[in-house]
Amino acid sequence: MQPSRGIPLAARVALHTILAGLFLGITPHASYAQAPSTLPKSWNDAVAKLGDEVAAAVSPAAVALKVNNISSLDALYAGAVEAAVRGQLQRHSFSFAPENTAAAQSAIRLQLSLSESAGEYVWVMQVLSDQSDTASSPVIIVAASKADSADAGADEQSLSLEKRFVWKQPERVLDFALLKDATSGELSLLVLGTNRLSIYKPTGSQWQLSRTSPMPQATPPSRDPQGTINLKEGRISLNGFECFGDSDLAGVLRCRGLKPSHNLAGAQMKIPGFLSSLSTTLAEKCLGEFVFLFTAESDWTQSDSIQGRLTKGIPLPLVPAGNTLEFDGPVIALQSESVGSSARAVVRNLKTDEYEAYIVTATCGN
Amino acid sequence: MLRRLAVISALAVVALAALPARSARRPRYGGTLRVEIGPAVASLDPDVEATTPEEAAAKLQIDSLIFDHRDADGEFAGAAGSGAFRVTAFEAGKRVVLAANEEFREGRPFVDAVEIAMGRGAHERLLDLELSKTDLTEIAPQDARRAAEQGVRVSVAQPDELLALVFVNGNARSNAGPPNQVAEQALSLAIDRVAIVNFILQKTGEPAGGLLPQWSSGTAFLFPAGSPTTADLEHAKELWKQIAPSGGLVLGYDSADPLEQTVAERIVVNAKEAGMAVRAHAIPVAGASLGSSRGAAGQATHVDVELVRWRMNSPLPGAALKDFLARIYSGPLAGVEAGAFPEAASPEDIYKSQRAVLNTYRVVPLVWLPQVYGLSSRVRDWKTPGPGENWPLADVWLIADVESGVQ
Repeated sequence: MQPSRGIPLAARVALHTILAGLFLGITPHASYAQAPSTLPKSWNDAVAKLGDEVAAAVSPAAVALKVNNISSLDALYAGAVEAAVRGQLQRHSFSFAPENTAAAQSAIRLQLSLSESAGEYVWVMQVLSDQSDTASSPVIIVAASKADSADAGADEQSLSLEKRFVWKQPERVLDFALLKDATSGELSLLVLGTNRLSIYKPTGSQWQLSRTSPMPQATPPSRDPQGTINLKEGRISLNGFECFGDSDLAGVLRCRGLKPSHNLAGAQMKIPGFLSSLSTTLAEKCLGEFVFLFTAESDWTQSDSIQGRLTKGIPLPLVPAGNTLEFDGPVIALQSESVGSSARAVVRNLKTDEYEAYIVTATCGN
Repeated sequence: MLRRLAVISALAVVALAALPARSARRPRYGGTLRVEIGPAVASLDPDVEATTPEEAAAKLQIDSLIFDHRDADGEFAGAAGSGAFRVTAFEAGKRVVLAANEEFREGRPFVDAVEIAMGRGAHERLLDLELSKTDLTEIAPQDARRAAEQGVRVSVAQPDELLALVFVNGNARSNAGPPNQVAEQALSLAIDRVAIVNFILQKTGEPAGGLLPQWSSGTAFLFPAGSPTTADLEHAKELWKQIAPSGGLVLGYDSADPLEQTVAERIVVNAKEAGMAVRAHAIPVAGASLGSSRGAAGQATHVDVELVRWRMNSPLPGAALKDFLARIYSGPLAGVEAGAFPEAASPEDIYKSQRAVLNTYRVVPLVWLPQVYGLSSRVRDWKTPGPGENWPLADVWLIADVESGVQ
């Protein structure tokens, strides 16, 4: 890896991933962080319903609106929702009394609470008056679906990590890969599950299942199945089997069994301070130093993160570098690409109970 | 020399880079998980009925480990031993040993065996945890803070058990004939829920104003549950004066539940501060009504109002409220026509259904209690079961004596 001045040396796979993300729109919520005034349609519908029901309950007049965000929505989104609600009320001929004015004293008080339930955002508008207690105040409640949080922006640090959401599904994902056809330039997404390899092709803004190849099964199945896709060698390793195919792994796979074992220990190398982290080393260096990615020290019941560390070599210190990427669940697999400065991460999102695939790309700064 | 160091260093990095990204975080197979529980399960035979709700709950947990799955009707399916574990030893009321099922459909559990010691008292369980004689046990919410301060590793779930007062149908001051739930409203106004959470539960819990917790419904904040204000107490006194000549209320609580006893005594104090006469009365409830309100027990001992503990059956607000409403409209609101509760209830439907119940003051939410577990230091991947979930013992694994390093 080289400094980001000039053309970044992102590897082929990483570049394809970024392009896939841009052209396929597979990070649909990333744009909200930059332009929060654009709400998802379901949110706009919820805001419109709030406005309609307030208008049905109260005659158009001067109102004083207070907003209280008690949900996990960040300030950016909460502000966008508030702006949309204000706009909706104005469309219903409500006017807003400036705070701390005589007009505000006589205005109808509206309290908007941005809350959330176990499954969705819940936005509550209370029409308050001095005469009525909370229990008898008109209450309007609407639901809005939860959206993925936006990616954190990269800052100006020596190493900048960026995650790009690629795929999610309820079934376990062991590994995945993005592949560009050398002749047609068409992208494919390979998703390795516990019992099959699924190949998706892009259609419009979606990935469409193109074909699946069954994978051999260990008997009895493992509770902690592991598998990797090695595009360079055209090889898939899964649960004690090795499967080989064409260079794009799209054709027939030839599998052979390896020695079965429950032993998950494998070869080990101890790095003090990182006893229970997943780690991988990126293929490219940053400013002449090796780049390691480490997950946090947690187990599979907790949220997780990935941070980069630089070292000139082992056993020299691994120095933290750049930003930390946060995830809503444990990173259960972390594989570096064979070339370039990116890695594949599989996350089990504890909030949605789905498995998510991300490409983590490191960019070397000044 | 420097050159040699550089070469060694580079080789080490290359070797590390070549290794797969695996680590000690990956589960490890082996070991015996030691569990202690309070209830004593007399029989694992599905045809033998449990004698207490606690025994029934413990039996359910064991069944969930040895049966493959549950059918849509909630019955366990498959033969005993088709689940993640099979029973290898059972001493009625004392001990059960389970061995990992190598052929389990979802993969062999990580631990080789689970030893469950039954009939262990709360104090014994905590002591065993501190002495590393057990790996996993349930801790009463009121003991959670003290346990954590003593160095016990504590796992606290989202609060999902409602401690509430319900006025017993037919007994509620029938002689006095209080109009329009006056006594009920007065008692509700007088209770200091915040003090119950802070002092009795040592802050392990939340004051409850609604029938669902905030994390599940998102609208619990619409049902305030703060400490009573001076105005609330004055209002309670005024209400009580309307019916004062009729005598006091009898508040029943489970004689085997120390938390209920303490809360009942606290409510008596709160009521006295509002000029109300309330008397706490212990009720023996073993087996009276498994998993539901203790209405029958209440009637047998003639109480006006009783404490109940209702655990949510689902994290989803619609499903959990539906279960609670079924209990309410067959208990304290029996005979009252329940409004329609849609299958796919919206947050507004859920709010309105709660409001309809709470406006009657026949059910008075007090606090939300979490499930609390104590864990030994070698337990990994324990996820405290949420509403409707069972112990995830097939996913739990135990670390070896010496931690492994990055692989």
